[in-house]
Amino acid sequence: MNDPNDDDVHPPHGPPVDPFPTAFPPPPVSLFPPVLVADPPSDWNAGADAHDLPTAEPPTAADHPLAALGRFAFPPGPPLDDDGLGARDRRWTSRIIVIATLFLLVFNAVSIQNWSRQQPPGWGTETVRRLSDVWAEQIAQTGADRPRQMVHDAWRDWRDMRFTGSRPPAT
Amino acid sequence: MLFPTLAFGVFFLFVYFTSWSLDRENGRRKLFLLLASWFFYAQWDWRFVGLLILSAVLNWGVAALIARRPEARRTWLVGLGVAANLLILGFFKYYGFFVEQAGDLLARFGWERDLPLLQIVLPVGISFFTFQGISYVVDVHRGKTPPAKSLLDVMLLMSFFPHLVAGPIVRASDLLPQFDRVPRLTREMATHGLLLIVWGLFKKTIIASELATRLVDPVFFDPSAYSSIDIAAAVYGYAVQIYCDFSAYSDMAIGIAALLGYSFPRNFDQPYRASSMQSFWRRWHISLSSWLRDYLYVPLGGGKKGLAASCVNVMITMLLGGLWHGAAWTFVLWGALHGSVQVIERLGRAALGDRKIMPTVLGVLITFHIVCLGWILFRAETFDLAMAMLQGLGRIGPVMMLTPFLLTLIVGGLAMHWLPPRAVESLTLKLKPAPSITMGVLIGLAILLIEAARPDGVAPFIYFQF
Repeated sequence: MNDPNDDDVHPPHGPPVDPFPTAFPPPPVSLFPPVLVADPPSDWNAGADAHDLPTAEPPTAADHPLAALGRFAFPPGPPLDDDGLGARDRRWTSRIIVIATLFLLVFNAVSIQNWSRQQPPGWGTETVRRLSDVWAEQIAQTGADRPRQMVHDAWRDWRDMRFTGSRPPAT
Repeated sequence: MLFPTLAFGVFFLFVYFTSWSLDRENGRRKLFLLLASWFFYAQWDWRFVGLLILSAVLNWGVAALIARRPEARRTWLVGLGVAANLLILGFFKYYGFFVEQAGDLLARFGWERDLPLLQIVLPVGISFFTFQGISYVVDVHRGKTPPAKSLLDVMLLMSFFPHLVAGPIVRASDLLPQFDRVPRLTREMATHGLLLIVWGLFKKTIIASELATRLVDPVFFDPSAYSSIDIAAAVYGYAVQIYCDFSAYSDMAIGIAALLGYSFPRNFDQPYRASSMQSFWRRWHISLSSWLRDYLYVPLGGGKKGLAASCVNVMITMLLGGLWHGAAWTFVLWGALHGSVQVIERLGRAALGDRKIMPTVLGVLITFHIVCLGWILFRAETFDLAMAMLQGLGRIGPVMMLTPFLLTLIVGGLAMHWLPPRAVESLTLKLKPAPSITMGVLIGLAILLIEAARPDGVAPFIYFQF
C-alpha cells in the first residue's frame, strides 16, 4: 500500500524531479583565475609491444617463504670483512682438497699400493705397503675399484691398437 | 720428488695445511715455507741445499751493499754479483764442457795435455736459481725493486719450491712484495690453481709420458732403424712432448703457488700458434725470454744502435740462450738457428716494412716446422744423431712406432693450441661459484681418470736437466 504522504508519488510542488538530469545551470563565475598547469608529456610509445615492457623480477630462492622464515629464525650475521672473506675462501678450498683426497682414497686405492711397492724397502714404506694392501683389498670388496679398472682397461686397449699393415718393432 | 707423484701429494697436503695454519704469523709462515723448500730440494741431493743457501746469502749481501752506495760507486758491485752467480753456474754446468773443448783444441795444435777433468754433479735447477739471483741484484741496482727486508725473503725468493727446479723464473719485483704481506687465498685463485694442477697432470703424465716412452725416446735413440713416417712422427711428437712436459711443470708450479696464496707469471701462451720466430719467443718460456731480453739483449744495446747492431745482439742473445739450456754444441746450434731466423725476420721487416707478405696460416706452418727442426738439434744427444734423424726423413719403410693412440696424442697436443687463449681462466669463472663438494668431487674425478690412464711411473721433467 502506498503512503499518501510519499513525495515520489505525489510531489508537493510541480512535476517529479528528473532522476538523471542532463541540463545544469551554468556554474557560478569563480572569483579566482584558473590555474594554468601544462599536462606532463605523454610517455606513450606507439611502437612498443606490451610483451617488451619490463615485468616484475621472477622470485628468487631468497624470496621463498621458507627462506624468509629461516632468516627470521636465524638472522644472518653482519657482512664479513676482508679477513672473514679470506678465511671463508680458505675453508672452501680446504674442503675441496679434503673431499678430493677422500674421493681418491676410496676410488683410487690401488695407486697407494702401486706407489708403496715401488719404494725402497724400509720401516716406513713397509708399513704403508701393508696398510695400503689391506685398504685396497677392502675397497675392492665394495666394487669401488671397478670404475678405475674399467677406464684403465679401455685406455690400454686403445693404446695397443695398431694401424693395419704396421709392423711392431722387435723387442 | 716430482710433482705428479704420491710423495709430492702428501708433502703438499702437509705444507698447505701447516702454512695456512700459520697465516697470522707471516714471518713464521715464510720460515716454514723455506724449510719445506729445502726439504723438497734435499730429496734430490741434500748437499746442494748448502749451495742454495750460499747463493742466497751472496745475492742478499751484494744487493744490500748496492742499496747503501751511491749510484756512481756501485757498478763494480753489480759486476761482482753477476760474475759470482755466473761463476757458480759456470763451474757446475760448463766446467766439464769447456775443459773438454780446450783439450780437443790443444790436441789439434799438437799440445795434448791432461786437463783436470772433474766429475761434477749438476745441481737440479741451478740455471733457474742463478738467473733469479742475477735479476735480483741487477733490479736492485736499477732501482726496479728495493732490497729485500730480510735474508729470509731472499732465501725464500730463490728456494721457494714451486719454481725452484724448473721455473718459471720469478723476479724479485714480482715475489718480494707478495712476501711482505700475509697472502690471501680467494676462490678465484684456488679454482684457477686446482684447474692448472689437473691440466698440468694431464699434459705431463698422459701426453708427454706416453709420447716419450712409446715414440720419441726409441726413435731418437736409433733413427737408422725407422722409416720416414716414424721419424716425422717422432719429431712432431717431441714438439708436443716438450711443450706438454714443460708447460705442465709451469702450470703446476703456478697452481701450487696459487694454493699457497702467491701469484706467479704466466710462462706459456700457445707457442705453436706463433706466425714468426719473434712471436714464438713471446709465447714460449716467457719468463726466460723476457729475462734474456731485459738482462742481456737490452744491456747489449738492444735495437737502439741500428739494424746491424740489433741483429748481432739477437744472435748473441740466442746463442747464449741456447748454451743456457745445456753444455753441448747441439744447444748452441739450436740457439743459432733461432737467432738466424729472427735476424732474417728483422731484415725482412726492415726491407718490406709492415706489409704482410704471406697469409698467417702459412707463417704459422713455416714457423712451426723451423721450431721442429730446432727440436731435432735440441733432443738429439749428438750432432751425428741429429743428422741421422734428418736423413731418415727420406727413408721409405714400414710404420713401426706410430699407432692411432700416439697420432691422437700428437694431434690433440697441437690442437690444444687452438683452444680459446684463456680457456682455463674462463672455466675458473664458471666453476668459482660451485659448492665445495661439487668441486671436490670434480677434481677427484679428473685426477682419478688421469690416474687410471697414465702409465706406471713418471719420467723427470725435461727442463730439470737445465
